[in-house]
Amino acid sequence: MKGYKHLFSPGRIGPLEVKNRIKYAATVTNFNFRDGYVSDREVAYMEAQAEGGAGIVTTQGAYPDPKGEGKGFMGQMAIYDDRFIPGLARIAEAIHRHGALAALQIMHCGREGGVELDYCVMPSAVPQRLSYFKPPREMTLKEVEQAVKDHIAAARRAVAAGFDIIEISGIVGYLISAFISRYTNRRQDRYGGDLRSRCRLMVEVLQGIKAEVGDGIPVGIRLCGLELLDDRGGNTPEESLETFKIAEEAGADYVSATIGWHESARSVITRDVPMGHWLPVARRVKEVVSIPVMMAFRIFTPELAEEAIARGDIDFWEVCRPMIADPRLPQKAREGREGEIVPCLACNLCFFRLYYHQPIMCTVRPTLGHEGEPDWGYRGLPKASRRKRVLVIGGGPAGMEFAATAAERGHEVVLCEAQGELGGSLRYAAKVERGDEELLRFVRCLEGRCKREGVQIRLSEGVSPEGAKGFDTVVLATGARYAKLPGEAPSVLTPPEVFEGSISSERAVVIGGQGVGIAVALYLSGKGLKVSIVEGERRLGRDVNPFYLWRYLQVLKGRGVEILTQHEALRFEDGRLMCRCPEGERTLEADLFVMAVREDRWAELETWRRWAPEVLLVGDARRPRRLHNAVHEAYRLARGL
Amino acid sequence: MIPVVEKDLCTGCGRCLEVCPPRAIYLEGERAKIEKEFCEECGLCASHCPQGAITIPWPHYVPHSERIVP
Repeated sequence: MKGYKHLFSPGRIGPLEVKNRIKYAATVTNFNFRDGYVSDREVAYMEAQAEGGAGIVTTQGAYPDPKGEGKGFMGQMAIYDDRFIPGLARIAEAIHRHGALAALQIMHCGREGGVELDYCVMPSAVPQRLSYFKPPREMTLKEVEQAVKDHIAAARRAVAAGFDIIEISGIVGYLISAFISRYTNRRQDRYGGDLRSRCRLMVEVLQGIKAEVGDGIPVGIRLCGLELLDDRGGNTPEESLETFKIAEEAGADYVSATIGWHESARSVITRDVPMGHWLPVARRVKEVVSIPVMMAFRIFTPELAEEAIARGDIDFWEVCRPMIADPRLPQKAREGREGEIVPCLACNLCFFRLYYHQPIMCTVRPTLGHEGEPDWGYRGLPKASRRKRVLVIGGGPAGMEFAATAAERGHEVVLCEAQGELGGSLRYAAKVERGDEELLRFVRCLEGRCKREGVQIRLSEGVSPEGAKGFDTVVLATGARYAKLPGEAPSVLTPPEVFEGSISSERAVVIGGQGVGIAVALYLSGKGLKVSIVEGERRLGRDVNPFYLWRYLQVLKGRGVEILTQHEALRFEDGRLMCRCPEGERTLEADLFVMAVREDRWAELETWRRWAPEVLLVGDARRPRRLHNAVHEAYRLARGL
Repeated sequence: MIPVVEKDLCTGCGRCLEVCPPRAIYLEGERAKIEKEFCEECGLCASHCPQGAITIPWPHYVPHSERIVP
């Protein structure tokens, strides 16, 4: 045990003592019903968060208005009427059962609201930058006054439902932040003008709630520490800092510092932003207020949080994505089992899905959203009725996930990896861009699980079909094959060969512009090669999370990578690549061609079937897709073994 | 939630095939068909369908009267 003297010391929020400095932060899940009622799924998820050991567990933001102008997500829970209290009370009870304090967040999504309407409400009708959001309509003075009342009534209901703490969301473009920002607030009435006037809505909400709920219930607020809207005339960092002071004056019992708006022109929570990068912003907030300061945003490990608290950057560690990935993170840290923490990879799969009206999903944790369903195995899988001898071929994410899960169910599992180390394509993905080495945390996590479950791991050991003799089940987790083109060229490599070898070429053509091709192009252009990408489809990266894709494309363009879409690679001829494009045929020259078009391995199935009664394909071998598909599929198939 | 294709509205334009990350949609009789095994429930097809023929089957909380009484 590393101690974590600060992280696990009691803290204080207003009149309440908190058992430690970890707060599960508000996270929309889309698990609830469309009409705003809390679902069993949400209650079970929140209970898992409390059970994991955090001192404070915060609900997702509940929208406070009956019209749904504040509703930003299809499955966001509501708090605009007393009829929602029983459902909310179930969450508070589930949190209390595990000794945590229950915080309810009130969130009016403002500029990002009206998900089921054809407009959103804002202080002023400043056009949307992101086409996803609804056309803005300026709020009347009466409507602003009503919004204050809605927030206060919501807080009253939260207390009636049994919550200990009320939190207000004023971030990323939601209503309160849209009033605070100079960019979106151009009002002439008392809610617009100088910073204090722009903060009036926040102040009235805070003061109104404090007066309503009394001193026994602390009220906190999340605010932008940095808007990152300089290109749009947003608030200066000094102004943002001032908003925390104003919140404290208005009676806030704690503040949480957040970074950026959803429409900021730079990404703030992707892997290219180093862990702990934003802590100096929290530190500046801490210097100007005397109430507790919290932060989430890329503080991914308990070690980092411990240091930040010890240094005085923050008082509480807010955890969002890392606890989606592993709700037991606090407990594992406290018990010195850091190696068992399932690491968040900042892939933003969870976040991205919300904008397509789907419940969140987690790449590294297939049980997310199924915590209340015993057969999904969040609290352990039942033993299989018959113990099978299982041979897993391929030590990538699919193979390791399968092996660990099958072993957990009591099967005897041998995992063979042809290479000298585990990781499969993740080892290559970890080399693409700065920050991607974080992907190796998941490799270590899976390796640890395999070892703890007693999987026999054999490295540098390829297996021929005859080697499957004596096993009940063979699992082909050997990854994708790479397509071949007719004809010949001097240097044609597969992506693994690119990442394993040393490259002395100057000009490369990458055939295939989906995720793997983009990764190869990023890697080679980063090494100074002149690169072209050839892709038959109209767009690149259909299998890349849009939250990453836009930045990848920006980087590729910045490095002068030539992107040739609607170019179908046909064959090599005299060492050159022939393509068909809308204008006819075209020839491309290079001293390195990379074949980044993936294929499945169904064709190999028959051969293996001759030697083992049951053969399964899993991951990219089954169908070349993404990391979460490999992990979830492996988990699903191993669960059914 | 696996999206649902409204057969009468689908024109078979193929837009959903182009955006589906796991390539889990194909055309059958000029109508989009989702392969349930490979669907990752991302919702991209629904948001890109020009006809509004693909929707995500969001549940409502029903019946109210039975569930809200504690």
